[in-house]
Amino acid sequence: MSEAGRTRTIRTDYLARVEGEGAMFVKLDGDEVLDVKLRIYEPPRFFEALLRGRAFTEAPDITSRICGICPVAYQMSAVRAMEDACGVAIDDGPIRDLRRLIYCAEWIESHSLHVYMLHAPDFLGYSGAVEMARDHREIVEQGLAMKKAGNALLALVGGREVHPINIRVGGFYRAPTRAELHTMTEPLERARETALATVRWAATLTFPDVEREPELVALCDPGAYPVDRGRIVSDGGMDIAPAQFDEHVAEEHVEHSNALHARLRHGGTYLTGPLARYALSGGELWPLAREAAREAGLERVCHNPFKSILVRGVELVQACDEALAIIAAYEQPDAPAVEVEPRRAVGHGATEAPRGLLYHRYEIDEDGTILDAKIVPPTSQNQLAIEEDLRAVVQHHLDLPDEQLTLRCEQAIRNHDPCISCATHFLSLEIDRG
Amino acid sequence: MAETSLQQRRASVVVIGVGNALRHDDAVGLEVARRLRERAGAEGIEVLEQEGEAIALLDMWEQADAVVLVDAARSGSAPGTIHRVDATFEPVPAQLLGSSSTHAVGIDEAIELARALGRLPARVVVYGVEGRRFEAGIGLSEEIEAVAGWLADSVLREARALVDWSEGSKKCMS
Repeated sequence: MSEAGRTRTIRTDYLARVEGEGAMFVKLDGDEVLDVKLRIYEPPRFFEALLRGRAFTEAPDITSRICGICPVAYQMSAVRAMEDACGVAIDDGPIRDLRRLIYCAEWIESHSLHVYMLHAPDFLGYSGAVEMARDHREIVEQGLAMKKAGNALLALVGGREVHPINIRVGGFYRAPTRAELHTMTEPLERARETALATVRWAATLTFPDVEREPELVALCDPGAYPVDRGRIVSDGGMDIAPAQFDEHVAEEHVEHSNALHARLRHGGTYLTGPLARYALSGGELWPLAREAAREAGLERVCHNPFKSILVRGVELVQACDEALAIIAAYEQPDAPAVEVEPRRAVGHGATEAPRGLLYHRYEIDEDGTILDAKIVPPTSQNQLAIEEDLRAVVQHHLDLPDEQLTLRCEQAIRNHDPCISCATHFLSLEIDRG
Repeated sequence: MAETSLQQRRASVVVIGVGNALRHDDAVGLEVARRLRERAGAEGIEVLEQEGEAIALLDMWEQADAVVLVDAARSGSAPGTIHRVDATFEPVPAQLLGSSSTHAVGIDEAIELARALGRLPARVVVYGVEGRRFEAGIGLSEEIEAVAGWLADSVLREARALVDWSEGSKKCMS
């Protein structure tokens, strides 16, 4: 092949089906991948600045605005961090159960959206959910019905579907009654059935043969699948309290991105999210979810990022199952919240957003004014791992024509459900076969 | 009985402001919804705000005969330009809203998804307001602020006309 024949450039200006937008650049020289860059334009620094000088009680509502898909995750990391600062721990009882319940609702909502509307079209060969819906109406309706159950539960506990207004430092403004929660039993039972069907269906998909082994990092909460609390643990032997996050994770400025790239100080690239949670806490899944994983052929650790769709399916089963159990056992608390008195301190909060570990740190003064805030979203943490996935995927599929290679790259990015609007606004994609 | 028919009418037209409150001009749809809530509510027109991903719109307009959507646009026109698209029978042009969306699925895609699934209200009108700033931050640009009042009035007129249309089409059916 002539030199000119090897020189190709592909550019798409907009990567659909990723929350928010950013940019990706791949540079090839013949069969060699020279460079892969994922550009994220805008970290949540605006929100950190906005938080300074505000009351500690305002952090949940302000940070919930960072992401339209996972507001509860931001609220939960915020309330945990503020309670940590104020010396309050809500680790048992109905308030904690309600928190876990609303978090389950967000997982159901977010995972349904991702599995059916964003990820499934990649596997079935459609450019998006709209095209897929024309041929596979039932599949799309299934996803929408499950998502609706998550939304309804979120609206019931949170007071509103998007940016729930009922969550506060110390608990909730109002606790739902037993009767209110029981209206969700039937929809959630149907959602659980759909989730099981989702795993069975996802197991029939064809997965590219790609194996990746970044260090896997997730919360571990012995006795539970990690959602709302825990130590930060890795398969490389890290086991730290959320307060030690900064000692172990370095955020670096990189030239091609305004965002900070997170890296483990002792190792380097790491991955958070469903694959990490499943690898580190798969043993904590309840029998129904565990059996679904086994039937789907998932091994104890899944190294293929394309199979994250299966793990999300398994987590959907788990979230529905747990939500039903919490509702069945629920007793309305006497008070919907505990009083939290501010004091001068630094607090840390880490929870599992649907797309991975979400860390908040706040410094507050004695009257509760926020002096400093730091927010590290899962997508910032996963950026390096996504770049390395892209490098592997491109290397593996060099023979594909540019158009298909571009689609494969988009799919590789979507494997990790990046919530890029947490950090950015545009994603364009460019392959340079210079 | 008269009250029942009024109730039915109340559910027939919904106005939805879409956007992100903390991304400057992307908030214009929400701002219009806020300006309209009381005025339109008094006339039985439901006004909603949608800040998250757009698939949720399918549930929000589920009961409606007609929907008016208001969102920010980024098509290259001058900031403050107002685009009106009747999406009842054809898609919203992709370049109008798509690239400005911070949502996982844009409202243009939500409309097409609903169309494919037979879940689109009988009438769909989209107002896109050309924005200038979409980065994180609070407050509309001057050009956007300047047209917000006029836009709110236009959206209300449109919603009223759709209520009349909805009433009329129900009479024809009965």
